[in-house]
Amino acid sequence: MNIGLLYSRIRKDEKLLLSELRERDHDVTKIDVRKQQFSISEPPEAFDELDIVVDRCLATSRSVYATKFAQAYDVPVVNGPDVAETCADKVKNSLALVEAGVPTPDTDVAFTKDAALDAIEDFGYPCVLKPVVGSWGRLMAKIDSRDAAEAILEHKATLGHYEHKIFYVQEFVDKPGRDIRVLAVDGEPVAAMVRSSDHWLTNAAKGAETDTFELDDRALELVERASAAVGGGLLGIDLMETGYDDSEADHGEASGQTSGDEPRARDFEDYTVHEVNHTVEFKALNDVSGVDVPGVVVDWLESKAQSHSDAETTA
Amino acid sequence: MADCIECGAEVSLHDSLEVGEIVDCATCGAELEVIDIDPVELDSAPELEEDWGE
Repeated sequence: MNIGLLYSRIRKDEKLLLSELRERDHDVTKIDVRKQQFSISEPPEAFDELDIVVDRCLATSRSVYATKFAQAYDVPVVNGPDVAETCADKVKNSLALVEAGVPTPDTDVAFTKDAALDAIEDFGYPCVLKPVVGSWGRLMAKIDSRDAAEAILEHKATLGHYEHKIFYVQEFVDKPGRDIRVLAVDGEPVAAMVRSSDHWLTNAAKGAETDTFELDDRALELVERASAAVGGGLLGIDLMETGYDDSEADHGEASGQTSGDEPRARDFEDYTVHEVNHTVEFKALNDVSGVDVPGVVVDWLESKAQSHSDAETTA
Repeated sequence: MADCIECGAEVSLHDSLEVGEIVDCATCGAELEVIDIDPVELDSAPELEEDWGE
């Protein structure tokens, strides 16, 4: 097969994928989106003869448009532009999850500082203010007081890009010092891990420790539903444990810090899905889970390309 | 080996280099993007953008 890879930076994740694709003797067309001119009428040469293209753009804005063009050129693309558009924006992501009945943190969106401050006061302290576009835990604010809220809102309104004037205010979820990342293909989990930190942000990019995690039936159900909610594909689904009772659990210090080394007794009420990521990074999962993640992902890519090819033949 | 475009020091490179990959200069700490591999050519890596991520 000829498999295209949309990229602007080759991370370890992309290297793992490229290595697996080449080991299977696929033709690989690397498409640096920074160098392309995306005509609205004629596909660029790089898109010729591709059986499928996988979006690995580092920049969300490029991902949204590049996948849209791939679709316009009739090249099967994963994840597709609709998935990218939903996952790229936290507002759309949250709405999709709510519409699908997937538990997700309570969230208000406001367009002015005053309305945002009212939302923050309604949530009470602490609560969380997030940018609608962004990743790796950047520009996230845990707001502990009205003074802090006023200052952060003023900074965002004055210094920020217009997207920062879309104030995304969310309840603070008192998780047990960790969250859960699940890599899934069309709702089927490939690997899962916990990300633990003393800090309230538990992104691996922020230095959280990672360890394996065994999904229970409820988590499996939510992964499947969250994936479907955004349109399916190769996704990173993030969950937190809610209603955590730290008086009964043995998780170390008061922070709830734990490495998640063993599946534990269920000492929490449920999960909440806070985000679904569409250009998911998986190098940490590959290292920690013992699962050959690029192998499974390429299996899935092959099956997607084959099903598109079969559909075209039938048509 | 290739020269760092920031400080001129030699940058050690691994065997499975990919165009688009980022390497660090051990001498000055600069992040360098591999823009060609035959022969190896390095350029300054782009600065982090706000919409980068997953």
